Amino acid sequence: MSAVLQLDGVAIRFGGVQAIAGVSFAVEKGDFVGLIGPNGAGKTTLIRIIAGLLRPDAGRVRLSGVDVTGDATAARVRRGLALTHQIVRPFREMTVLDNVVLGAGYRYTSNPFRALLHLDRRREKERAAQILAQVGLGGTEGKLAGSLPLGQMKRLEVARALAVDPEVILLDEPLAGLNHTEASKQVETIAEVHARGITVVLVEHNLEEVMRICRRLIVLNNGQVIGDGEPRAVMADPAVHDAYVGAGMVGHAEA
Amino acid sequence: MSAYEISIISIIGINVILAVSLNMISGFCGQISLGHGAFFGAGAYAAALTMVGCGSVPLAIVAALITGSILGVIVGFASLRVRTDFLAVTTIGVNFLFVGFVRKQAWLGGEMGISGIPATGLGAAGNMTMILLFAAATIALSLYISRSWMGFAFRAVGQDEGAAATLGINSGAYKLAAFGIGTALAGLAGGLYAFFTQFITADAFDFIFSVMLMAMVVIGGIGSTWGVVVAAAGLTLLPEAIRFVNDYRLLVFGGLLVLVIRLAPGGLAAMFQNVFLRTRKP
Amino acid sequence: MYYIDLAVTGISFGCMYAMMSVGLTLVYGLLRILHVAHAAVFALGAYVTVLVANATGSIGLGFLAAIIVTPLFGMAIYRLLYEPLLKYRPDVPMIASVGLLVLMQDAFRIVFGEQGITFHSNNLAFATYNFSGVTVSAVQIAIVVAAAVVFTGLHLFTTRTRIGIGWRATVSKPQIAASFGIDPIKVRYLNFAVGSALAAIAGGLVALMNNLVDPGIGFVVSYKALAIIVLGGLGSVRGTLIASLVLGLVESYGTIFIGAWLDRDAIAFLALIVLLMIRPQGFTGARTA
Repeated sequence: MSAVLQLDGVAIRFGGVQAIAGVSFAVEKGDFVGLIGPNGAGKTTLIRIIAGLLRPDAGRVRLSGVDVTGDATAARVRRGLALTHQIVRPFREMTVLDNVVLGAGYRYTSNPFRALLHLDRRREKERAAQILAQVGLGGTEGKLAGSLPLGQMKRLEVARALAVDPEVILLDEPLAGLNHTEASKQVETIAEVHARGITVVLVEHNLEEVMRICRRLIVLNNGQVIGDGEPRAVMADPAVHDAYVGAGMVGHAEA
Repeated sequence: MSAYEISIISIIGINVILAVSLNMISGFCGQISLGHGAFFGAGAYAAALTMVGCGSVPLAIVAALITGSILGVIVGFASLRVRTDFLAVTTIGVNFLFVGFVRKQAWLGGEMGISGIPATGLGAAGNMTMILLFAAATIALSLYISRSWMGFAFRAVGQDEGAAATLGINSGAYKLAAFGIGTALAGLAGGLYAFFTQFITADAFDFIFSVMLMAMVVIGGIGSTWGVVVAAAGLTLLPEAIRFVNDYRLLVFGGLLVLVIRLAPGGLAAMFQNVFLRTRKP
Repeated sequence: MYYIDLAVTGISFGCMYAMMSVGLTLVYGLLRILHVAHAAVFALGAYVTVLVANATGSIGLGFLAAIIVTPLFGMAIYRLLYEPLLKYRPDVPMIASVGLLVLMQDAFRIVFGEQGITFHSNNLAFATYNFSGVTVSAVQIAIVVAAAVVFTGLHLFTTRTRIGIGWRATVSKPQIAASFGIDPIKVRYLNFAVGSALAAIAGGLVALMNNLVDPGIGFVVSYKALAIIVLGGLGSVRGTLIASLVLGLVESYGTIFIGAWLDRDAIAFLALIVLLMIRPQGFTGARTA
């Protein structure tokens, strides 16, 4: 079985600070991984490295066995990685449908000259409408993306990520800022995404939800992996416990 | 048709090509360029030298297209390296460098420019027809791009490069494409201009001219091909239509630019946000 | 001695560029706008200096009038042109600013004529002094002295007075300044007022030097000033001063070495483009977003 996403000894330094100090893990196809850690653990930096926004000083990033360490975000997306942003970034002045259509046309937009030779969008529109229905945004197709409430924008992020037919989807705090109802709807959507065979890596502050839906937990602290495995077993580990004590979140997670 | 009418229509055609091509760069793809005059000039000089050298119109047109786009791709590479507001200054710089360089080159005629460029042999009306055909082709290309996946991706790049990347769109490649196509067309316009006047000097391609082209794009409604065509024709005719304005051409241009941006923020803002500008994060 | 003459010319031009550019870089630091119309302020300063000097017979009164009039004009530009456009991307006010410059320039041409206006009496323009073989004109001395006074004053103002310290804090750390009760809106007006007054002094001095104000006076200088503030790392006063002086000297000497194939006025942009290709963030690497 091959890993869809694999990190080998990834490290990066900012000035005098070793933000990520040799992180390695492999995410197998079909897995559902929660990536957690207290504030300042290096989660955001690691996500940026996986997304191709930062180049590590050392180590490799592989997607389905292919080394993408030197590739930009767009190239990684074409290798099967999809991303959602923690802070939503829709194309505000495009319609909700167009936001997803653009993703669905990723084969045409992979280079400008291929894009120039294609006009037809019918198939992509159908596909985009399907995806929007899946994430519960049916009926909003014609609205401007910028006019949606936050809860729906967060779903739109997921819809756009699905449009590029990913192998693995990296969700950066998809629940942040959502109220309870919105959050549980979003969790449902993510579970459905996983059920359709897409590997999910979920970065989330909401430990309760992470514990509930993830099959595997990777815990980051001080730029290192301090726990990796079945969620309850990992959270029972004293090292993980200690890392979280300051934040006072373990009891909450176990409740 | 009088010689006067033929010349006015020829100039309108050239300005339409310039404004529509600038709109591809600044309107569709969101890359502010305030140096479009430099690419126009590069094409004009390339065509003039070719005509003086061998007198072949098709070769001169090809030379103009290629020279414009080579310079454009170089500036496009610069656009990949610098921030948006640096790009505006950089393109202003490219325009000043172009004029400052050409004025000192003996082989380009220095400050006197190049005169006695051989006629195309088509006559004034024939030239006008050629210019209008190219203008029509430019408009058609612009409309086509706008509807194609390329135009779709341009809008994404203009609005948010980061978000475009997460959809697998390589912003850099699209910016280069926008500069390459837009400046090739500006070069073409330069070639046509050299055929039309048979006499060129560097000062015809100065920064103020670039600003006027940007005025056509902004007043026409950034990103809208037909709006820009109407504005290009209108702003070219304006000084001709109202005699007294002729002396106040710059005053009117400047005033319109200020008024349109200042007094129609709603209309303009909508257009800006649509294809050109991200609103600042609240 | 020729090389020293060139240095004198370079330094005096550098000081003039500095007075012109500081207003621009301050506006950029505060509002992220490329204030192209600053050139119109510069030109207005020059016109007011000449007109009032001719009317009163005193060049000093001319400068005084310019220092009073231009800050009002600068603040009006902020209030009427930029403030309503602040919520749009910085390119929008910049295009409006270019429009205003073009408009003002043509207005000067229409009102005062293509040929411009001259001082009725201007003893300074042609007075020169000879320091052991090095010729220095009175205007060059005036420019350097003015710059020294102005920048020393500015330094004292921003380090010794309450308003000045608040101003500096607002430009560098707006949130912190706001939490100390400094009104950011007042700071913006102060910014435009001071920047405009400096540009007016520079404009008046250039008018003295050429004994002429014509509609194009601010044109080339203003675009050079844009290059300078980018070279100086947008928003940095110190970087702008250094870049101004360096540019003045480079232009002065560059005219001998590369003047054969490039206009003097294009040297600034050559330097700019070369620098941006090597260091896309500018000299000092300002991290402004």
